[in-house]
Amino acid sequence: MATVISLLVDDIPGVMQRVMGEFTRKRINVETIVVGKCEKPDKARIVLSISVRVQAEAVLEHLRMLEEVNNAELVEEENHEAYALIGNGEGNMRMTGSIDEIKKIIDKTQPAKYIWAVNAL
Amino acid sequence: MKGAKVVVELLEREGVEVVFGIPGGVLLPLYDEIFDADFRHILGRHEQCVGHMADGYARVSKKPGVCIATSGPGATNLVTGVATAFMDSSPLVALTGQVATMMLGGDAFQEADSFGIMMPITKHNFRVMDPKQLPMAMKRAFKIATTGRYGPVHVDLPTDVLNAEIPEKELDKDFPIHAPRRNLNQLLDAVKLLENAERPAILIGGGAHWSSSGSEILKLAEILMAPMVTTLMGKGVVPDTHPLVLGVVGMHGKQSANYVLHNCDVLLAIGSRFSDRVTGKLDDFARKTKIIHIDIDASEIGKNVKGGIGLIGDAWTVVNALIAGLHQRSIKESEWKRRITELKQACTCDFDFKDRPIKPQKVIWELSRNLPDDAIVTTEVGQNQMWMSHFFEMSGTRQFITSGGLGTMGFGFPAAIGAKVAKPSSAVVDVAGDGSLQMVSHEFATTVQHDIPVIVCLMNNGWLGMVKQWQKLFYEKRYMATTLERSPDFVKLAEAYGADAVRVERPSELPEAIERATKSEVAFLIDVVIDPEEDILPMIPPGKKMTDVIRGKCGFNFK
Repeated sequence: MATVISLLVDDIPGVMQRVMGEFTRKRINVETIVVGKCEKPDKARIVLSISVRVQAEAVLEHLRMLEEVNNAELVEEENHEAYALIGNGEGNMRMTGSIDEIKKIIDKTQPAKYIWAVNAL
Repeated sequence: MKGAKVVVELLEREGVEVVFGIPGGVLLPLYDEIFDADFRHILGRHEQCVGHMADGYARVSKKPGVCIATSGPGATNLVTGVATAFMDSSPLVALTGQVATMMLGGDAFQEADSFGIMMPITKHNFRVMDPKQLPMAMKRAFKIATTGRYGPVHVDLPTDVLNAEIPEKELDKDFPIHAPRRNLNQLLDAVKLLENAERPAILIGGGAHWSSSGSEILKLAEILMAPMVTTLMGKGVVPDTHPLVLGVVGMHGKQSANYVLHNCDVLLAIGSRFSDRVTGKLDDFARKTKIIHIDIDASEIGKNVKGGIGLIGDAWTVVNALIAGLHQRSIKESEWKRRITELKQACTCDFDFKDRPIKPQKVIWELSRNLPDDAIVTTEVGQNQMWMSHFFEMSGTRQFITSGGLGTMGFGFPAAIGAKVAKPSSAVVDVAGDGSLQMVSHEFATTVQHDIPVIVCLMNNGWLGMVKQWQKLFYEKRYMATTLERSPDFVKLAEAYGADAVRVERPSELPEAIERATKSEVAFLIDVVIDPEEDILPMIPPGKKMTDVIRGKCGFNFK
């Protein structure tokens, strides 16, 4: 089960480097990253999934101390959403679903190429 | 208004009295404006040192120290100064020049990604790409450096931004920052725990220094009848002469202080981050102790030592809240108080050694007795630092300044220069080793040029002493790269820069040398030739328990 952190950040150059620096310092491997503009002007959301919950909890306060991070929260599991892009040689196929559903499909079909990520609100 | 003028104007509006810097090509527009500035400019001889000077200034004045370096090598040299301040939560505003925005990313002459380099070693940093953002960056830099947990803030200034025109109305705008969170939800739990503690103790860290909460902590300790021990960064927050103060804990700490740290039932930690030098092996630390952790930085609660009660706020506020919660409650007169008195007595060894060569402990014995009560002492890093930490007596309003977190050799001398600029009326003494001093000895030129009469008390043993000690204790005396043969004649070296100096080889010469130094109108070096085989003991080996201590001459034995 993934633990998901959602951040609301200032949408300015360098903010990703600053956020990821905390994960580097804490020796945490981030499984998936989604970044994008959001409903608030000049802000962006960063959604990170981490496999070890205790690591996510440990880094949360450090993220909150960053000047450009406006908000940092763990997101409840029911609000997680996974998506994947799967390449089977004849084109790409897109999928959405729960994390478990997407993982199961990937495990079962063993696609030649794929990428998946977790999003959440 | 021109960008460079905006920088100077905003520094003046922040009340900056002095900046420490070294100019360079991209900074020429800024230095042309500093020519007419109201503040003093101290020209260092290496950018690392201007960082430490600003840091020393900040630790004494509790105002942000400002340092300036040019692009590329200027910025990379400054890194050690900034990282040192970051580890010890010292407020700096570090300004660096940068190549023009149009040139950035093209590997221009003296270009380095100082924005990227500084990011992990600052509380926050800015690269000003748009001239309109310059007032925002400068104003926020000062606010961030001194709000919540203090720390260094870096502002990277491309040279074209310094030459750009900026509408003056931008200077009057307010730029708020996030307010630090305070959380005292567990205050009542903490009060109850302290009230019912049988063996309470207080661990004082650097956070207590920054919030000037020494007298409040003394009051709380007296209510609780709790002994006070300090981390290296907390040394001097409370005077060593107080009957409840047992001194510094940790690897080279007082054994009485370590005894209390490991035998209390409730530990109130104030502004300490539980460094490995304090806790030793973390798995064995405070297993049966209930911990109350006060820190201004919420991310420190539970970072190293887990499961305690967290009180998030500045030390002064939280300690006062605890006093308010406890002052009318009855604290039981306990056996613990009697034991603390015994502990204090058991840990007062005589180190007025008459040996030749001079013992380092004797140097500190004389410094403790002959320096004024408002003296500021700085240290380098290594044996000199740990001898001072263990043996130097903090009385009156003395201040102890050291690079505790990063452990930067070469910190003490430039930090002393910054401290003396902040408080010219106090004697400022850097207690140095010959390894550390050789990293920064060029700053004698700065002291003479700018009339900053600091004292360097050099404990000269001809070794990189701390590394040698570890090679002696843990590597079968296989001394590799630790002997400092062919070092200069330090007296001649200081004199070559225009400073005054004396060599001391007999213990009896120390008081007169210290008196001469404190009266000197130029920087003064006391080159004390000390016993090269004297180690800093007691010592708890790294990763070991208190009971694994290597005692040396320490006779403390308390069951």
